Amino acid sequence: MTTVLAAASLGVDEPAVDLPGVPGFIESTFNPLVYGVARPCLRHTAMIGARTAMVLGSLMGDTTTADLHSRRLIDGKVHNPLLFMQATANSVMGYLAAEFGVTGPALSISNPGDPVAPLLDTAELLLAEGELDHVLVIGVELARAARSAAAWQELTDFTLGGTGPPDQDFAVALLLRAGGPPLPADRPGNRTSVRDLLRVADGHLYQPHLGAS
Amino acid sequence: MNRAVQVTGFGVRTAFGPGAEQVRRGVFAGVPAFAPVTRFDTGPYRSQVAAVGADSLSVADALAETAVAAVGMAGVPVGDRTAVFVGTGGDFAALTRYWRTGGDAAPTVPAWQAEALAVRLGARGPRLAFTSACVASAAAIIHACRMITAGRIDVAVCAGAYLVEEDNFAKFNSGRALSRDGRVRPFSADRSGLLLGDGAAAVVLESRSHAGARGATALADVAGWGDASDAHHIAKPHPGGTGLTRALTAALRRADASGLDYINAHGTATPLNDSAETRGLSAALGDRAGMVPVSSTKSTTGHLLEASGAVEFVITLLALLDGVLPPTAGFSRPDPDCDIDCVPDAPRPAGIRRAATINAAFGGANTALILEHP
Repeated sequence: MTTVLAAASLGVDEPAVDLPGVPGFIESTFNPLVYGVARPCLRHTAMIGARTAMVLGSLMGDTTTADLHSRRLIDGKVHNPLLFMQATANSVMGYLAAEFGVTGPALSISNPGDPVAPLLDTAELLLAEGELDHVLVIGVELARAARSAAAWQELTDFTLGGTGPPDQDFAVALLLRAGGPPLPADRPGNRTSVRDLLRVADGHLYQPHLGAS
Repeated sequence: MNRAVQVTGFGVRTAFGPGAEQVRRGVFAGVPAFAPVTRFDTGPYRSQVAAVGADSLSVADALAETAVAAVGMAGVPVGDRTAVFVGTGGDFAALTRYWRTGGDAAPTVPAWQAEALAVRLGARGPRLAFTSACVASAAAIIHACRMITAGRIDVAVCAGAYLVEEDNFAKFNSGRALSRDGRVRPFSADRSGLLLGDGAAAVVLESRSHAGARGATALADVAGWGDASDAHHIAKPHPGGTGLTRALTAALRRADASGLDYINAHGTATPLNDSAETRGLSAALGDRAGMVPVSSTKSTTGHLLEASGAVEFVITLLALLDGVLPPTAGFSRPDPDCDIDCVPDAPRPAGIRRAATINAAFGGANTALILEHP
């Protein structure tokens, strides 16, 4: 049994939303989105960093940074060390960990199919070990771009399902704790978007949504 | 039901070639595999060398090769209840190819790698890709241990693969992380950085009950695991190795053990990592730290990025099975900040019962896995 203590979501339908600046993270909305939804959850008064884990789920990952680096490489341009620093989702979780003193596990996953169940399952497994009180789960996906559109199509052809990329860059975070009543929409199946994490939090929101959802 | 986790099969590939025997001839002999890279033009970069194998494989090929070998060794039926967990950032050679000449985009997606491997094996249980950089495949193994212990699954194939390509070569070059002199000298005073290497490995993990019921021979128990964050920096390790200490302490607690006979270190040979790792190990092991042999096999294989956890898990397993510790190759002179027994240059016979493998990654993520004789 897991309870939602806090939730936040943020979407970028350019240029409608000002994302929080995150020093060292440039060019892509991926990391500011993660930071923007994680911060209000990690500010929850019950959160104790030493007993909190983070799990970030994204099928495609930060395609903006990956594609930018790859295209610059092919064009023979000077490589920017900041793109190296932000090349993995671990980096922004490290930034969050440092700010909020989170010393539990930090995992990043890419799941074929349902993007929600692995996040919740992993959180439950972590909480079941008894050494953690809270797990912050984060779902993030960027909107369609050339490679990701091709990849989404090929994944669909490969029977991974899904309905394609979101229509805007989008992230959602839930701060979960062990115990309490079951989640309101426990494993309904056929979830296809990280937005479906919000359905899990319906009626359990601690924080108002911060942006478009 | 006994939910203890056992290793019943493995497959491995390094720059030395496919299979455990190549690991014994290269890694355990202390022979660095570094050579000039010919897969792409290294002219623009600080270093021109890496540990690159002779074969031309894709990430999916390397995952499949090692996983098929692991499943074959285990002799385990693969089907509805077999999970597949993979540590990978996707195929970066495919990413470069996509932008340079066009080609399939799906292999660039980490989840596709897990799905493709599951299809190849006929595994229809849970499948998931772990993308957490240099702890990715260790995280995959830890996830399987948690799933098996919780009774969610009985069998998991855990794998990781990384093959040297230009995208990450350029990234590590821009981060000034590559060795200046073409050598990797973990724990030495004059270490100057890492070099990349080809690597892939897969292991079959089972509950003791499942392995026992089918009469399988366990190679080792996964007695403990731990993962923890530094809460320090997006890229630099905590100078005191505090996350590593927490990860290893948790693994020792789970294993109900106070001591270790060998540690396969993360040991990247960057100035910051090795001293932080030494402090982290010292804090976890206390007075016993100086008595535990610690080696970095990245001195022979290179840094295998997402594959590090899986390949070094297999190397640690071989040390346990063979009774030989792999050396830290290329050791030059001691660093007072790395005052450990780093098994310099030559393999060391040692009857060991319990060994750990340690990994760390960007964002301050740390993992520890403990293997024991069953």
